[in-house]
Amino acid sequence: MSQIMIELANVTKIFGQGEKRVVALDNVSLKIKKGEIFGIIGLSGAGKSTLIRCINKLEVPQAGTITIAGQEITRLKGKELRKTRRKIGMIFQHFNLLSSRTVYGNIAFPLEIAGVKRSEIKERVLSLIDLVGLSDKISAYPAELSGGQKQRVGIARALASNPEVLLCDEATSALDPETTKSILGLLQDVNQRFNLTIVLITHQMNVIKEICDTVAVIEDGRIVEQGPVVEVFARPRTPAARRFMKSVLPTEIPAEIQERALRMDDRKQGGKTVRISFVGDVAGEPVISSLIQKFQVDVNILYANLDYIKNTPFGSLIIDLMGENQKIEAAMEFLKDRGLELEVLNGGVEPTA
Amino acid sequence: MVWNLLLRALWETLYMVGASLVLSALVGVPLGIVLVITEPRHIKPAPLIHKVLSTIINIGRSLPFIILLVAIIPFTRWLVGTSIGTTGAIVPLTVSAIPFVARVVETALLEIDRGVIEAAQAMGASTSQIITKVMIPEAVPGLILGLTMVAVNLIGYSAMAGAVGGGGLGDLSIRYGYQRFRGDIMFFTVVILVAIVQGLQSCGSWLAARLNRR
Repeated sequence: MSQIMIELANVTKIFGQGEKRVVALDNVSLKIKKGEIFGIIGLSGAGKSTLIRCINKLEVPQAGTITIAGQEITRLKGKELRKTRRKIGMIFQHFNLLSSRTVYGNIAFPLEIAGVKRSEIKERVLSLIDLVGLSDKISAYPAELSGGQKQRVGIARALASNPEVLLCDEATSALDPETTKSILGLLQDVNQRFNLTIVLITHQMNVIKEICDTVAVIEDGRIVEQGPVVEVFARPRTPAARRFMKSVLPTEIPAEIQERALRMDDRKQGGKTVRISFVGDVAGEPVISSLIQKFQVDVNILYANLDYIKNTPFGSLIIDLMGENQKIEAAMEFLKDRGLELEVLNGGVEPTA
Repeated sequence: MVWNLLLRALWETLYMVGASLVLSALVGVPLGIVLVITEPRHIKPAPLIHKVLSTIINIGRSLPFIILLVAIIPFTRWLVGTSIGTTGAIVPLTVSAIPFVARVVETALLEIDRGVIEAAQAMGASTSQIITKVMIPEAVPGLILGLTMVAVNLIGYSAMAGAVGGGGLGDLSIRYGYQRFRGDIMFFTVVILVAIVQGLQSCGSWLAARLNRR
């Protein structure tokens, strides 16, 4: 698991010249481990598409190196590049299937161009069609398939030459939520079955949450934060990552509650409105009731939100803490000691996030 | 007598059109392919080759056929030993159709989804594999429609080939129908020409639709 499969070192890609110059990737460095599902998330135009296309050299970066399984792909050309590309499968947002070929023909395509024998092709294609669950569509043309079925063909085609890496370029962005789920399930399945390293780029939070082990957040061509998905999503460290999370996660406090919290500043009785963010096991602990019992403060829950990232719960809770100031302070210490992130929304510091 | 004339002329027309269609496709299709793949951001970008080729093709297409026909007489004579007769007409017909074919092929190939070509590149396909296994098969319906258009045009041009003694239906209708006031021959040649063009276009459209999997 700790073996590095893909390494990007100081990759820079610039499009255009002069005034039209756009820095799509700015000194990007990443390490992707063998067998992991690595997600790259960013808003459109952040450079994520360029990034994934550099990995199989569909785009050629101006600077930096990209190494896959010990081979520096940025240096390869011609025949050697083509040979290496056969070990890197790729699936696309718009599937990019050959419309003139059937399901069978599409999956056979990478094997044909690799010069595999006809009998072997047949065997391999049939087993792949079975793997992706399209045995009844073997002679259908792409135009006769649904989006999800097309992506299944795309996945089977990408797996045909037994790749070590699978690149997914917004592979679920053109699919409905239900189909997205089934495609993600299939990706997870092949990841485990073949110990396949998967790199996927997306702007959909759910995709990352559902299947990724590690995530990198990209903004304006720079990786602003990377790490285990739970860490990055629940406790973004950099302002850029926090800004991004805010834009995609519904952790925004409803306006009504925010107003109410502000109003409470005026009241005579002391009190604070606090946002508690939690990740992992702490979510299962009865913190609130301990709080009430131990510190004799009144707790009013204003807002709560719980979500799961790959079976790890994370969420946030906004509460009013009422009572004597001292007790409130003590209660907050107690919460911090339990590993919870606290953020005072009024009665003190200006909210930061 | 009339039927013999018509039959002979029909054969000459079909021979001229068929031969020049095949010959012009042999040269024009590769030219069209080169034109496409040398485009910027395509699989073999080569701006200079693209520009030069495009200019030559434009020059070829800007010459009216009747001018081209006489302008290249020395070339025709050098190539096939004669500049008259049906064989002599095939040379200018082919020369005039080559740039047309090249443009038609270019249009058809540019219609292919770039993503599909990219997917083939990502799978490690070589340039020749992309051309033969992706671009051409994907463009088949467009190519058929385009070549049908070229064939219909060639029928029109072949009528002018009568000017160099090429024979054919056009020549027959001018010499008999017009110059000898034979209304019946004029009528029949027109009917036959219309029928050929209609038939050709219907076949082309039908085939293109049949092979279209999109």
